[in-house]
Amino acid sequence: MRLGFSVGIFGAIAAFAGASRAGTVVGKLELPAPPERGPVIAKGFLDRTENPLADIKKVNIAPYFVVALEGEAKSDTAPAEVSWELVGESFARPVIAVPVGAQVVIKNTTKIARTIGAREDPTLLTGPLNPTNTKSFRATQPAIYTIGDAGAPHLRGKIVVVATPHVASLDDSGRFEMADVPEGNYKLRVFYYDPAGEAHGGTSVWLPFSTDVMVASKAKASKTEVNAKLSAVDLSSGPASGLAPGPSSGPAPGKQ
Amino acid sequence: MFWSKIWFFVIALVAAVALTIALVLPRPAQRTLIRGEANRLQTACGVIRILLADDARNRVELAGAFARSPEIMNALDAASGVDRIEDARMKQVRDVGDTVMKSIQGNRKPDFAMLIDKRGRVVARVRLDDNDFGDVAAGRPLIDDALAGYLRDDIWAQNGTMYFVSAAPVVKQGAYVGAVVLGHQVTNQLAEKLVKSLDVDMGFHLGPDGVAGSKTIAFDHTQMQAAIAKLGDDLATDCQVVRPMDVHAGADDYTAIVARLPGEAAAKHAYYSVIIKRPAGVGFLATLKAANEDDLSFGNFPWILVGGAFLVALGLGIGLMLLEADRPLRRLTTDAVRLAKGETERMSEDAHGGKFGSIARSVNIHIDKLGREAKSALKDLDQMLGPAPEGSLGTIDLLATALPSVRPGGPAPAVAPPPSEFRFQGPDPTPAPMPARKPPARPGTPPPFRAVTTAAAAPPPPTPPPRPSQQQHATPPPTLSAPQRPSQPPHAAPPLDLFAQQAPLNLEDDLPVRGSTELDPPRVDPYFKQIFDQFVSTKQRCNESIAGLVYERFAEKLVKNRDDLIMKTGCREVRFTVYVKDGKAALKATPVKDEP
Repeated sequence: MRLGFSVGIFGAIAAFAGASRAGTVVGKLELPAPPERGPVIAKGFLDRTENPLADIKKVNIAPYFVVALEGEAKSDTAPAEVSWELVGESFARPVIAVPVGAQVVIKNTTKIARTIGAREDPTLLTGPLNPTNTKSFRATQPAIYTIGDAGAPHLRGKIVVVATPHVASLDDSGRFEMADVPEGNYKLRVFYYDPAGEAHGGTSVWLPFSTDVMVASKAKASKTEVNAKLSAVDLSSGPASGLAPGPSSGPAPGKQ
Repeated sequence: MFWSKIWFFVIALVAAVALTIALVLPRPAQRTLIRGEANRLQTACGVIRILLADDARNRVELAGAFARSPEIMNALDAASGVDRIEDARMKQVRDVGDTVMKSIQGNRKPDFAMLIDKRGRVVARVRLDDNDFGDVAAGRPLIDDALAGYLRDDIWAQNGTMYFVSAAPVVKQGAYVGAVVLGHQVTNQLAEKLVKSLDVDMGFHLGPDGVAGSKTIAFDHTQMQAAIAKLGDDLATDCQVVRPMDVHAGADDYTAIVARLPGEAAAKHAYYSVIIKRPAGVGFLATLKAANEDDLSFGNFPWILVGGAFLVALGLGIGLMLLEADRPLRRLTTDAVRLAKGETERMSEDAHGGKFGSIARSVNIHIDKLGREAKSALKDLDQMLGPAPEGSLGTIDLLATALPSVRPGGPAPAVAPPPSEFRFQGPDPTPAPMPARKPPARPGTPPPFRAVTTAAAAPPPPTPPPRPSQQQHATPPPTLSAPQRPSQPPHAAPPLDLFAQQAPLNLEDDLPVRGSTELDPPRVDPYFKQIFDQFVSTKQRCNESIAGLVYERFAEKLVKNRDDLIMKTGCREVRFTVYVKDGKAALKATPVKDEP
């Protein structure tokens, strides 16, 4: 599991009622084969050339996905604080999902001051983000924000605000885990951030994919396992036409 | 003269055309020069891009060599396996990197290096921010590509400094363990090196700021930035698309062309400019100043053609002048000289064409007129002096030199004409040997006196109006013969009229007079008497008849001639000389302007 995975949602669920009825949802998204690397970005005087000693590494697209469980069940989970670190020339994760009502805190852990902002809402973040300082805002409604620094075009990240507290990022193998999910019926949705597609005019949206997830009470199953497959994904053509929904799996019995 | 005029017109036309060409020709040349300068700029711009690409290739190769260093491989492999990079590890890796950098040979040693583990973390920085480490460099396209296994180059701009960077993956035993980044700062030395053989100057710019350049020139970047802003997506064609522009730096004018720099720095409006000093305006004088000896050498200048054309033009002009001016004028001159020498009596009108013929005709007309008048005068003299040998008392010269007091078309010259000889003979008379001495000079020559028969017989002679030349004399003695004619005004009539209107004289006319003056012998002017005696003596010596030659008539004629000459020439006195011409006695009168 990559370093940044644990910071996707580390805000603790402060309190929830009927904890005995809540469960943990674990799952794995079977991702399509990674696409070929896109065209060179910020090409210099020469085209890039492959090294003769090893094959070119495939693109790891797992960090560019986030999943969310949307359902009828009401959660008593209070909005938490979501931290997102600027670790250098990139964010700790390229995309994070943030529940509505959560406080988003962006922390600059580098020694370089940045001037970050949200492309979709220039008033969301203003002023410089100095080294070791933070910038924050509260997510009030579902939205997708592209956070970046105008002086560093490569420094981009997505904040996806969703109307559910049950969100998670994927590890490099496509696995995710959501704790304290109340029992009930949910739909699992997937968001894919495609920076290469955006560089060529595309947009990053929720994939037209969902799968039903029925979360049983903890008394019945310690975990609810979800397995889904994203097939025939053409990442280079953009998420709107790329990811096709794969066979969804129903709630799996607890493996405990 | 017609063809001469035509020729001069042609020459003037050719000169005007040549001058027009000389003044106009520099303008197309200047346009050509500007186009040439633009082409030179575009060529230099393209060459610089090629040189930069070639430099990038060398830098990428250098990064690859750097990445293949075993020490680098081992250091990054070890760093990739730890969750947190400690300061000690950073220093150890930094030392390794510094050691490898020192081993790099050649002129293009990198200014900094970044050693990155396979997670994208900066394990160490060498020679630039070398105390910073642990930050994630992944995310930059160059580093992402290097971590993925590509070698490539890029341009970074940090804190107003531009770096040409290159990166290469670090592969250990077939597995990626990190990447290395080498950076070369863009400096003035680099710019100078790039344009060393191009005879231009260049500069690297980041938006409105200059980063480096081959020459320190401070000029406004606004125009260049505006040109950059109009460009499309293809950076490779900038040198061909961008039009050269005029920029000013102080008192100097430059022509510049700009092209964008690729890579990350393009987002910060990085570009380079190629500039040349604008040549001075090429005008006619500037073109002449720019000409050197080589331009005028036989190999580069058609001297033979120009010289031949010059000689042809000169020869044609001289030939036409000879044909139409010089030769006719010379013929006219010769004819005039022959006329003056008496070799011919008239000028040949047919021999002269055009204006010269007109001159000859005019002269002939005047000669004819003079001839007619001379015949009349000769007749009078013959009557006075007796039958003179033919030509002895020729009047042509005498009368020809008696210039009219008023010339046609204007007044007579203000100054008196030079003393001229009144000749009764040809133009080259032989001085008479008889009067070996000069005739006696005297202040004035009184008119001859005749004996007055009685006081009542003749009225007292009228007192002639005083003349300037006679004011020093006493009252002129009265003439007892015919009443003296009133003095004619200077413009009244030509002098020949004096002879033409003169009544014929002979000895018979004098006899009564002589008889009537026996009681009172006439007063004899010693000067006229002397001239008379010389004349009689000369005639006798020449075996000429002196019958009918009497002093009174002789003196009277001399007086009239003297008065006429004084009136017409304004001279003070007239001196008469007896000489022999062609074996015959002759007489000439010489006006005396001043005191001898």
